[in-house]
Amino acid sequence: MSDGTLDLFAGRARAHSGEPSSAADAGAGPSEGLRASGLPAPRVWTVRQVNRAVRLQLEQGLPQLWVAGEVTNFRRQRSGHCYFTLKDDVAQLRCVMFRREAARLPTDPREGMMVKVFGGFTLYEARGVYQLVAAKLEAESEGGMWKLAFDRLKRRLDAEGLTDAARKRGLPPFPGTVGIVTSPTGAAVRDVIAVTRRRAPWVRLLVRGTRVQGREAGEEIAAAISTLASRDVDVIVVARGGGTMEDLWGFNEEAVARAVASSPVPVVSGVGHETDVTICDLVADLRAATPSAAAEAVVPDRRAVVRILDNLGTRLGKGLAGQARSRRWRLDQARDLLHRRGRRRVETCRDRLVRERSLLAGIMRERIARHRARLTRGAAAMEALSPMSTLARGYAVPLDGRGRLLRKTADFPPALDFGLRVVDGEVACTVAGAAGAGPAATPGRAGRRRRAGRAHHAG
Amino acid sequence: MPAEGGLDRRLRRIEEIVASLDSDSVDLDEALALFEEGVGHLRRAQQILQTAELKVEELIGAQGNEAREFEAPDQGDRDDGDRD
Repeated sequence: MSDGTLDLFAGRARAHSGEPSSAADAGAGPSEGLRASGLPAPRVWTVRQVNRAVRLQLEQGLPQLWVAGEVTNFRRQRSGHCYFTLKDDVAQLRCVMFRREAARLPTDPREGMMVKVFGGFTLYEARGVYQLVAAKLEAESEGGMWKLAFDRLKRRLDAEGLTDAARKRGLPPFPGTVGIVTSPTGAAVRDVIAVTRRRAPWVRLLVRGTRVQGREAGEEIAAAISTLASRDVDVIVVARGGGTMEDLWGFNEEAVARAVASSPVPVVSGVGHETDVTICDLVADLRAATPSAAAEAVVPDRRAVVRILDNLGTRLGKGLAGQARSRRWRLDQARDLLHRRGRRRVETCRDRLVRERSLLAGIMRERIARHRARLTRGAAAMEALSPMSTLARGYAVPLDGRGRLLRKTADFPPALDFGLRVVDGEVACTVAGAAGAGPAATPGRAGRRRRAGRAHHAG
Repeated sequence: MPAEGGLDRRLRRIEEIVASLDSDSVDLDEALALFEEGVGHLRRAQQILQTAELKVEELIGAQGNEAREFEAPDQGDRDDGDRD
C-alpha cells in the first residue's frame, strides 16, 4: 500500500504483533495497537485516515462469513457490479457483488428473497459506509437461485412460444449425418457412439466438442450447435451425463435455448438423467432421458431398416404385378364393354323384330276382322235371299228322303214317304191313295217335328 | 434420379417408385424401368446395411472448419457426469 498513513498504521500493527499484518492479529484494533505502541497518535485524524483505518480493521479484523437475510434493492449496474441490501426485522447491511462474482449468479435474486451471502467486509471510504463484499449468493428457498433462474427463463421462453409442442419438428427417419454437441472426453460421447455403432453403423457422426460444465459451457454449447447446423447434418444431439443443477447449468442458459430454437435441423437433447430437466430439453425438438436414449431416438435400428427394406421389396413386386393386373383388368373391361355393346345391339334388333311382328299381327288381325265383318254382312244378304223367308210366309217345301225337291205330282207316287219342310222344321208325310189318282197328300199333324212312319192314309 | 446416395435417399426413392407403381399414371415400359431401378436401390441399401462401418469425425478449430477422425475416449471423464 502506497498510502503513508496506512503504512504507518500497518507498521505499527505489525510492530505490535511482531508478525505481518493478518486478519487474526488485526482483532486487537488500531487504537489499542496505537496505545500499546507508546508512539504518539496523530492528534487530529483526517476523515480519510479514519476511514482507511476502519476499512483496514474491517478487512483484516473480520473473517469471511455467511450472512443470512432478506434481499432488498438489488441493482445490477451497467459495469456488471451488483449492489443490494440484506436486512432482517431490525437491521440492514449494505452489500456489493463485483462483476466477476456477479457473472456466476444464475440470475438476480427476487426482491424480498431470503438468501445467504458469503463474503468479507470492507468500508467504502468515499462514503464511509461499510459493506459486505459478496463472493457467493445462494437462495435459502428450495432449488435456490438456479431454480429461480430456470423458472424465469422458462417463463420467458414459454411466452415466446419456444417451448410449444407445436414447434417441435419430427426427426429424419434415416439420418445420414448426426451432429453431436458434447464433451469430447466424456462418457456421453462414448455412449452415443456405441449406440450408433450397434444400431446404424452406416451413419456418420460429427462431433463438436465443448465444455459441458462451468461458466463458458453455455456459450460454447450454443456456438457448437450453430457450427454443426452449418455443416450439413441431418439432426443434432446435445448430450451430457447427469449432474447437479449447477453442473448442468450450461444447458439452462438462454444462449443454448436460442441456438436450439434457431437450428435449421431438429435438435435432440439428452442431458443428465431422467429426472434432470434443462432448458435445452424444453426447447429441443425431442427430449431424451439420457445420451444413449438420445442416440436411440435419432438413429434407426438396423433390424428395423432390414424390415423396411423387405417390405419395400414386397411392395415393389406387388406394384409391378399390380401394373400388369391393372392392364389385364382394363383389357377385361374393354372386352366386357365390347360384349355388352354387341349384346345390346342384338337386343335392340330383337326388340325391333318383336315390335314389328306385333305390329304386323295387329294389322293382320284388323284385316281378318274386316273380312269377317264383310262375311257377316254377306251372310245377312244371303239370308234375305234364302227360301226360309218364303217358308216363314207359310209355304212348305216337300223333299224326298234324299232331300230332293218334289215339284210335280209325278214326284208323289202313292204311299211315298216324304218330308214337308216348313219354317220351323220338317213334317213327315205319306202320299195317300193309289198312284196316278192324283195327289192327295195328307200331311201329318202340322206343328210337329218329323215323326217317321206316322203318316195318315186315306182309306 | 441419381442412383448414388445414402440410405435415406435410396429409401425415399424406393418409396417414390412404389408410389408410382401403385398409381395408374405410368405406362408399362416405364413401370418396368422403375421396378428395375427400385430393385437396384434395394440391393445397394441392403449392401450398405451389411458392410457399413461407423465413421466418427470431430470438427476442430475455432470455426469448426476442419474435420478429423475422432478418437473416442476409452473411459468417459467423471466430470462429464455419471454414466447412464
